[in-house]
Amino acid sequence: MPDYTLKVRRYQPESGEGAYWQEFKVDLDPDLSVLDGLLQVRDREDGSLVVRCSCRAAICGSCGMKINGRSTLGCKTQIAEAHEQANRRNGGTEPIVVEPMANMPVIKDLVTDMESTHWTKIRRVTPWLLPEGDPPEREYVVPPESMIDITQSMACIQCGACVSSCLSLEVDPEFIGPAALAKAYRFVGDPRDAEARGRLYDLAQDPHGIYDCTHCFSCVDACPKDVAPMDQIMRLRRIAGDDHDIDDVNNGRRHESAFTKIIEKKGTLDESLLLQESYAQGVKGKLIPTPGAIKGLVGSLPTAVRGLRTGKMRSLAKLIPGVHEKLPGDAQEHVQRIYTHAEEHREELNLYISGEEELEPEPDEAETPTPEAAIEPEPDEEGGR
Amino acid sequence: MSDLKLAYWPGCVSRGFTPELHGSMAQVAERLGIELVTLDRANCCGAGVIAEHNTELADTLNARTFALAQSTGLAMMNICSTCQGAQSECQQRLDADSAYRAHINEALAEEGLEYAKDKPGFENKNFLWVLVEDYGLDQLKAKVTRPVAGLRVGPFYGCYIIRPRHRIGYEDHPERDLYLERVIETLGGEVVEYDGARKCCGFPVITMNRETSLRQAGTHIGDALDAGADCLVTPCPLCHLNLDMQQPEAEKITGRELGLAVLHLPQLVGLALGFEPADLGMGKHIASTEWVEARLAGGVPV
Amino acid sequence: MPRHDVLVIGAGLAGQRAALAAAEEGVSVGIVSKVHPVRSHSNAAQGGINAALQEGDSWESHAFDTVKGSDYLGDQDAIEIMCREAPEEILHLEHLGVTFHRNDEGRLGTRAFGGASQARTYYVADITGQAIMHVLYEQLMKHSELISRYEEYFTTGLVLDDDGNCAGAVMRNVSDGTMELFEAENVILATGGNGQVWQPTTNALICTGDGIAMAYRVGAPLMDMEMIQYHPTTLAKKGFLITEGARGEGALLLNAKGERFMETYAPNKMELASRDVVSRAEQTEINEGRGFPDGTVALDITVVPRKRIHEALREIVLVGRDFAGVDITREPIRIKPGNHYAMGGVKTDVNGATSIPGLYAAGEAACVSVHGGNRLGANSLLDTLIFGRRAGQHSATRAKQIEAGRPSSAALADEERRIAELIGRDRGKGRRASEVRKELGEAMDQHVAVFRDAEGIKTALETVKRLQEESRSAYIDDLGAVFNQDVLGAIELGFMLDCAECSCVAALHRTESRGAQYRTDFPERNDEEWLKHIDLTRDSDGPEISYSPVTITQWQPMERTY
Repeated sequence: MPDYTLKVRRYQPESGEGAYWQEFKVDLDPDLSVLDGLLQVRDREDGSLVVRCSCRAAICGSCGMKINGRSTLGCKTQIAEAHEQANRRNGGTEPIVVEPMANMPVIKDLVTDMESTHWTKIRRVTPWLLPEGDPPEREYVVPPESMIDITQSMACIQCGACVSSCLSLEVDPEFIGPAALAKAYRFVGDPRDAEARGRLYDLAQDPHGIYDCTHCFSCVDACPKDVAPMDQIMRLRRIAGDDHDIDDVNNGRRHESAFTKIIEKKGTLDESLLLQESYAQGVKGKLIPTPGAIKGLVGSLPTAVRGLRTGKMRSLAKLIPGVHEKLPGDAQEHVQRIYTHAEEHREELNLYISGEEELEPEPDEAETPTPEAAIEPEPDEEGGR
Repeated sequence: MSDLKLAYWPGCVSRGFTPELHGSMAQVAERLGIELVTLDRANCCGAGVIAEHNTELADTLNARTFALAQSTGLAMMNICSTCQGAQSECQQRLDADSAYRAHINEALAEEGLEYAKDKPGFENKNFLWVLVEDYGLDQLKAKVTRPVAGLRVGPFYGCYIIRPRHRIGYEDHPERDLYLERVIETLGGEVVEYDGARKCCGFPVITMNRETSLRQAGTHIGDALDAGADCLVTPCPLCHLNLDMQQPEAEKITGRELGLAVLHLPQLVGLALGFEPADLGMGKHIASTEWVEARLAGGVPV
Repeated sequence: MPRHDVLVIGAGLAGQRAALAAAEEGVSVGIVSKVHPVRSHSNAAQGGINAALQEGDSWESHAFDTVKGSDYLGDQDAIEIMCREAPEEILHLEHLGVTFHRNDEGRLGTRAFGGASQARTYYVADITGQAIMHVLYEQLMKHSELISRYEEYFTTGLVLDDDGNCAGAVMRNVSDGTMELFEAENVILATGGNGQVWQPTTNALICTGDGIAMAYRVGAPLMDMEMIQYHPTTLAKKGFLITEGARGEGALLLNAKGERFMETYAPNKMELASRDVVSRAEQTEINEGRGFPDGTVALDITVVPRKRIHEALREIVLVGRDFAGVDITREPIRIKPGNHYAMGGVKTDVNGATSIPGLYAAGEAACVSVHGGNRLGANSLLDTLIFGRRAGQHSATRAKQIEAGRPSSAALADEERRIAELIGRDRGKGRRASEVRKELGEAMDQHVAVFRDAEGIKTALETVKRLQEESRSAYIDDLGAVFNQDVLGAIELGFMLDCAECSCVAALHRTESRGAQYRTDFPERNDEEWLKHIDLTRDSDGPEISYSPVTITQWQPMERTY
């Protein structure tokens, strides 16, 4: 069996020492996991190496860790793959680097304190269904797609990999974070929940809520269950801003609608107009800018002035909102027609529900039995065993 | 001489707040022998923001850009990680479902446009990908007249060009998240390893959570300085805005003096091809590029 | 010292349901789990949960399928209760927020499952257990003022009062190693199964039979311990589960020659015969040389429409991709029977009560017995919920009626001493605890599996006894207090060895073939002698055997075909 080297970030709180690195050799079939490697170390060499683990099959969510800098599950990462990854830049002798998850305090070795970071945030989003009135006699009747849709968030196993990977949390520990916000979508998207608006208002107004996500996709890559937390956050924004018309104090909604309107008018982005419109739609329109918006606009001025000084913004004109040119010829009109068409339909193609066609050609036999048809009538109680 | 001819989508920001990017790209392409056919009728990619509002709208806008590119019969190149990401996301949806695609194409019909899935020869690639995969690092190396020897460069990718993994094309090009390092080395520079290379610049939340945004930018710049970088290089003009234009603001938030030059990818290539910093608009940057220029002139001890 | 009217040990589906039910009765409830509740193994239940809820179905039909599936060893009074109460439980879960699959009308939709005469399995893609458990945990968070959660607290033993009533348990706080006596008027064991006794197994590393062994140690009888289910579709190397839902959706079983071999063994139900039947068929094919060289047969899911796989078998796509390197939508996947479920456990009545006053058990740790010789797919989630709820309700009612005795604090000192002794063992002398565990798993999988005979079972039993001896001097490495998993592993090993011994003794004693117990030396079912449960009670030198009758209400034993 091949040998692999695991370089593990260890911390033994009772030793009085700080964290340190320790290398272990393991011999393991290449298709076994990094977790299997750690368990081999624990069983054969050092029982004091601790790592939360249970199912070994990416369903219990215990073994979140960082492998070669990436937040993931130890059980889901093949050791050969991890070895290859560790050696992409520097040839064949680099060890596989294993660390506890980031953005959380470490308790011991690979065990982190998820209660104070992850679970507190989960509880922050009122993580239970809030239906209106008494339940019906039978089940709630809801669109079948809606249940598939929120099952994507329901597939979250609370492993914390997304929390560990989150680049907003890294600089703002108060950010509610990808896991909790995906959990929030699970209720907002649930037709049985009666408090969607209240939930959205809360998460839009919180400076550490949906508009504190930097759209970096780290959580999408980290998630072992394809929950795509960031996608759910973007949908929360869409529903908050566009379906519920929530005008948040963080300028999230204003930024989005200003951007969208500018492209309708100009085809490409007029940054000056965007700054003005995001912060203070009231300057030109009928809305009265919020104090926060004015503060934001004023805050952006030094940057703009500096740009002017270096010639970055080629002329003073560039700084005047609205001077930016439209697309040439009739192109702008065509863009505007696209707006009319798309705003009328607002179709949201959800690949989690529909799947991808080219990956899904139906098998040749059209006569595949439906689940119901696969059931045979109960045979008579006779015949051999 | 290269026979590369590409439909070119410069994006909005390269013609707005970072005009030096558009200018340097044009010069560099010419010297490399890459012919660019600018899509001057094309529209903004939406930067993920329009998709936040209405995914169908974002998909249709980008389908229009793709259709314009397809009508030239050429492959398409962009010079912005954010364009790459936002456009790839829309393309994935457009390609996933024929009925949806037909619906979107309805909106393009009046302009005589149609987006076709899997059209032979059509691809949408960032300049970085074109450089490594289509132009080739050997050919690039041959064009280098003034290697950026001794220049310690920190790569800064921008999220959208490396994530999410399932949309970046790693199956066919597994090393796309290492290309910047490759290019830096090919140009004669030295790669600086630091924490922030593949992290977020913070730009997407600059108007919504200034503190989070600038703390990200400031932290990465600080890490790169600590690692001994002379400059950063990025294929994304939005990253450039937050890392360069906002650098003085990031200094205030992080309480640390920074002062690190941030180059656009075509600028770094241009320097190695022999262009002068002024030709490449480096004087327009907020964070001074003097240190880089001095290093290249041999004026700073390595 | 924490004190509760009802203390639930284990926080999978049975435990969480019990805690919620008890709290509804207005008593003080604590729930303890050695892992965070959402890590519990109910997560792994993929396929669904049975209930006769739709028109044209009846609880009697569900009950008959269950009785037949159990090979007539299930107690029919308990089965009737479970099947009657199932529809209401499903609706309750739906109202709490479980995202059950809907049909085109937006109503609850079903899928087919093994051994069932109707498609009556309700499901959430193939993450049904996870989806239900996370929703129950939402409710635990919602009702945190009524239910105290002790997350990552390991129970080392139960404590009785002077009158022999269960009065609490000793806990070790995993995160700092402190030991505490938890007082309780009632204790509900919901600690799950003991699959880790076998290697490989579909069960998680935490499934070490803690509750079964702890009950046994304080004198509660265990029942049906010989009935160990081998699931027909597990991955060869790692033992991971491929849901029966795959066959429910139409997937086929093929031998190495490409033959659909179930035609021979179960011509009517084919792949959807009950699990014991399918596992034996596979093992026969493999043993007779018609399997693949790696000791497997193939499960062909490619016949299921891709759209349907995407919607209903997502998890299996991931399992295939991540753990077998197989795209199940494009090629068959190699599988074999693997250890999966303990039908037996702590003997209880239909309210979860054991023979010890104040001690209850529910879920896989318990044996009511609704599964008898073989559990039907999608009946285990149902079992956990129905009997978890009943145990919660009954114990809460009891709490209101009785005045509990006080457990002796000597129990705490005893447990502390026991653990100190374990940690203080001479590392040079004995074997590593992990080695002992490994040998146990291999011996059990070799001899107490799909096919058994007296010779093999005796070999396993002798091995278990030797390992019990060796475990008394087995050593560990971690001598610390904080998150010492090593010492917990050694305690679990003791629990596993108790369970193993009981399974061997019962399997050896039952000289017939019924359900999951197939004795090659006694290949026939023998109703005359063996239509009864084997009960095991701890004696000074091992389990003492007694019997209890099988409760029959309306279904007389018949020959069983599929």
